[in-house]
Amino acid sequence: MIRYIVRHINLMLFTLFALSVASFALAYLFPADPLVNLSGVQRLSEEEFNLLSEKYAMNESIIIQYLQYMSLLFQGDWGISFSSGLPLGDEIKRSLPASIELSAYSLVISMLVGVPLGFFAGLRHNKHTDYVLLGVSVAGYSVPVFWLALLLIMLFALQLPLFPLSGRISLLFDIPYSTGFILPDIWLSDINNKTAATINAIEHMILPTLAISVVNTAIVLRLTRSAVLDVMGSDFVQAAYSRGLTVSQVIFRHGIRNVLLRILPLLALQTSTLLTNAMIVEVIFSWPGIGNWLLQAIYQRDFPAIRAGMLAVSAFVVIVTVLIDLFARLIDPTQGAPRRGSL
Amino acid sequence: MALLDIKNLTLEIDGTNGWIKALDKINLTIDSGEIRALVGESGSGKSLIVRAISGALPSNWRITADRMTWKNIDLLSMNDEERRKIMRNEIAVVFQNPLKSLDPSATLEEQLLESIPGNLLDKGYFWQRAQQRRVIAAKLLHKVGIKDHKRCLKSYPHQVPDDICQKFMIATALAPNPELIIADDPTRGMEITTKAQILRLLTRLNKTKDLSILFVGHDLLAISSMATSMTVLYCGQTVESGPMDKVRKRPLHPYTKALLDSAPSFRKDLPPKSPLSSLEGTIPSLQHLPIGCRLGPRCPRAQKECVKAPEPRRIHQHYYSCHFPLHREKR
Repeated sequence: MIRYIVRHINLMLFTLFALSVASFALAYLFPADPLVNLSGVQRLSEEEFNLLSEKYAMNESIIIQYLQYMSLLFQGDWGISFSSGLPLGDEIKRSLPASIELSAYSLVISMLVGVPLGFFAGLRHNKHTDYVLLGVSVAGYSVPVFWLALLLIMLFALQLPLFPLSGRISLLFDIPYSTGFILPDIWLSDINNKTAATINAIEHMILPTLAISVVNTAIVLRLTRSAVLDVMGSDFVQAAYSRGLTVSQVIFRHGIRNVLLRILPLLALQTSTLLTNAMIVEVIFSWPGIGNWLLQAIYQRDFPAIRAGMLAVSAFVVIVTVLIDLFARLIDPTQGAPRRGSL
Repeated sequence: MALLDIKNLTLEIDGTNGWIKALDKINLTIDSGEIRALVGESGSGKSLIVRAISGALPSNWRITADRMTWKNIDLLSMNDEERRKIMRNEIAVVFQNPLKSLDPSATLEEQLLESIPGNLLDKGYFWQRAQQRRVIAAKLLHKVGIKDHKRCLKSYPHQVPDDICQKFMIATALAPNPELIIADDPTRGMEITTKAQILRLLTRLNKTKDLSILFVGHDLLAISSMATSMTVLYCGQTVESGPMDKVRKRPLHPYTKALLDSAPSFRKDLPPKSPLSSLEGTIPSLQHLPIGCRLGPRCPRAQKECVKAPEPRRIHQHYYSCHFPLHREKR
């Protein structure tokens, strides 16, 4: 148990270290002066230059510079943006939760839809249901997310004006920032029409969430289906049938738990796909998330923002992936099973 | 009375080149209270018979039989639910790999409790039933020789040693008080002392509870010491069957003789460093089965007639399927 925790944390720390080195290297690799790229302050006067050189330890060796950069990162001083002139830490703190929110909802939806459908397909292996579901999942898996998002806008926002075209919430509502997640923010705020605001926020959320969920549902469905086939064909399920248990007893007592234990670590690997898709969809729906923000930064050659955004997104993906994987291992009773010799 | 009576059981598997007869006209009977050994080399279809009896077949398998009855009730024509009830209450199977036949994510307690059918509990309120089940479970474990039942029940399958696992499998098999236990190579890959314990356990159960056992395996020494009758299988065909001592003393089929000769422990006159006898060649794969008697290409006594499958013949209780059995002179 302890060994797994230590190993996973070790893995996480090393990956984060590599990411921080990469982000520090970007300051040197981008065009323009490293000091400008690190601090984000353009057109420095002599005085400012000396002050910032001191702050970022630019006259010391590169290792000291890196350590100084790290200590500033941990203090929350990520530099300022070229384009807006605001501190990057605050900007990321505002936009990253919006992306996480979108990904989380679509993850929940894809689990709720994908896992049962995957079970259904797996249990009816080689029957029409299986083929139909598999075909649909191949289609869902292959549809490009941005195209699907545009299609959804065309159909459900323009042709049938059911849902709003873009944005996170109607401009009529003024939600003060507290957590960065829109629904908790609405409930925490003291505006007088919370219900209307909630409904409005959910309406805004439906199309982008749907666009991301399609791909993710297809992935979850396929993972579940293959895990179900694997488990239901295994010896212990055969043995359970031969003990005279009914089909539903076998599925509920032995099937589900083993299937979920198998797909959980695989789902951890899908975090990056999920967040990437969310970032693409944000751009199309003008969702004020990290993807939209990062893309704007790239258009405007906002080097400090690219550096900080890349670090924040990748660190988030790494941490979530490792934590889900660790969780999956901790709840798996076969973890730590010694290898057996056999004759 | 024959508990299980199988006549001309044929099992076909849908392969890439059409249906393959994996089992060809198998005959097998198990009388109540006997230990019937089912012997054959690897790939001869022993485990297929076990699966055919236990039901639960993949969709690309097809079973036909002239007769397949359990206590004079036809197994093939009954529906899944009736079949399941028989498997639940009357027939139990012990599989060859105990670790793989147990759910790795459930404790042994869960798996033992679920195999105790509700009709064995005396009528109590539903909250008393779990407790009753636990008492029965502990008794079962003691019966098969697991002393520390608390620790065993708390464990997951991977936490207990192989022999305990196999004993536990026998305990789950015994849970519904079955009339027949099918033990599919239960001592595979085990140490000799553990093996002896498990064989003794099965023999004792047969003696004390009048339990019929179908013992599947290829350990001739173990089988000859415990079984009352034996069926020899080669490549999906029953070759010879009869009472243990008759088959062992006077095998009628060339394959049975070759099988018995191949076990060094059966030949007391074997001088040191002499070559062990074996049949030429190997067992054919399912894709390249010979026609007629499947032993044909390897048989030392094969002749032209062997391309037709021999009908089973009988001397008292001793059945054999051969055109040129050993008790007749070679032409």
